[in-house]
Amino acid sequence: MIEIKYFGAVAEKTKCEFEKVFFSEISLKELLQDLEEKYQFESLSFSVAVNQKIVPKATDYTLQTSDIVALLPPFAGG
Amino acid sequence: MNTKDRYNRQIILPEIGDSGQDKLSKAKVLVIGAGGLGASILPYLTAAGVGEIGIVDDDVIEISNLHRQVIYKSSAVGKYKADEAKLMLADLNPSIKVNAIAEKLFGNNAISIFEKYDIIVDATDNIAIKYLINDACIVTNKPMVYGSIFRFQGQVSVFNYQNGPTYRCLYPDENTQSVNCEDAGVIGITVGIIGMLQANEVIKMILEIGEVLSGKILVYNILNNEQQKYDFEKNTTVVINKKAFEEKYNVVENQVEEVLAKEILDKINNGEVLFLDVRNEDEVPKINFKNGVQIPLMNLRSEMKKLNPNQTIYVFCQSGIRSKIAVELLQKHQFKNVKSIAGGALALNKLLKRKV
Repeated sequence: MIEIKYFGAVAEKTKCEFEKVFFSEISLKELLQDLEEKYQFESLSFSVAVNQKIVPKATDYTLQTSDIVALLPPFAGG
Repeated sequence: MNTKDRYNRQIILPEIGDSGQDKLSKAKVLVIGAGGLGASILPYLTAAGVGEIGIVDDDVIEISNLHRQVIYKSSAVGKYKADEAKLMLADLNPSIKVNAIAEKLFGNNAISIFEKYDIIVDATDNIAIKYLINDACIVTNKPMVYGSIFRFQGQVSVFNYQNGPTYRCLYPDENTQSVNCEDAGVIGITVGIIGMLQANEVIKMILEIGEVLSGKILVYNILNNEQQKYDFEKNTTVVINKKAFEEKYNVVENQVEEVLAKEILDKINNGEVLFLDVRNEDEVPKINFKNGVQIPLMNLRSEMKKLNPNQTIYVFCQSGIRSKIAVELLQKHQFKNVKSIAGGALALNKLLKRKV
């Protein structure tokens, strides 16, 4: 099971701030593709963290049970 | 006034002491944006005795700002934020120096402004300017204290601290969009908290205490009080140097171009161009053209909005000195084609007489 956290405008799209998903043997890249299909982020840009560390989005890292993924878009308000 | 008394409660902190207060009084901090974040950051830096504070903002106060930009009075609506903030801060702590810079920040002025300060604080409300601030901080080797909010969430980080990661390391994709407060909505407390966290990073850097948020982004959600820190690393493939900066932001040397009165006589009463008289109203000889307007130099900044920045404008004063200052001011505000008439009204008048 993997936990995914959503922030800012990304959370507006997903309509939730976190969710838990069941996967086995999935890479970060594949997870992000699945999420894109499900939520249609389109022009929204964001950085991705695994276990509190920002990582390149196209990584083949295979997610482990209990990993926490976070999608962090830039904010602009001030 | 005894500054020792003023700062006593912070001086008695073992982490500060007289030496820490001395560091604060020698520090120079530039805050870009005097909106919601700025209104939170500025009074705290001022009250703590940061020696010199610059405020960059070319906006005027609107009534819809007041619910969150708490340093402004209702009676100040319509006035420049930089000027009003300066008045408020000077009253709060007369022992520090405050510089109001009511200009838009762009490639041409960023470097020269940043060079005068030690720490740059990003309190702006759009993404494009954050890249500009980031890049100018890299060129001038200054740390950038980033803060930004989206509705009830905020982000804080310190970029380019001791050659650490930058905004581009966190967000490499420049062609990105995110809504600002005007479009997304905001309450004052969110910008208040995030601005305060930014001020805290500034103070820690000056005092060299605690851990600076370098290589980490703090994300704060005020609705559930959750906060998280995410680590990020320096991306060494992105190189910003002075040359790259100048190319990217089209930096051109600002030169005041002069024209001779005799070269532009045919432009008189030609509606495509504008003659701008920056003399005071009581100065003679009077020069009245159909395509002329008079705005005394001292009022030019506040009345600039009456002018079209894309129009060709010939500026004159009595002899050609004030008009050069006016041209520089207009160029700083993105006026594209402004020229000063050499010799001013005196030269023009001489030629006009000859013509008749």
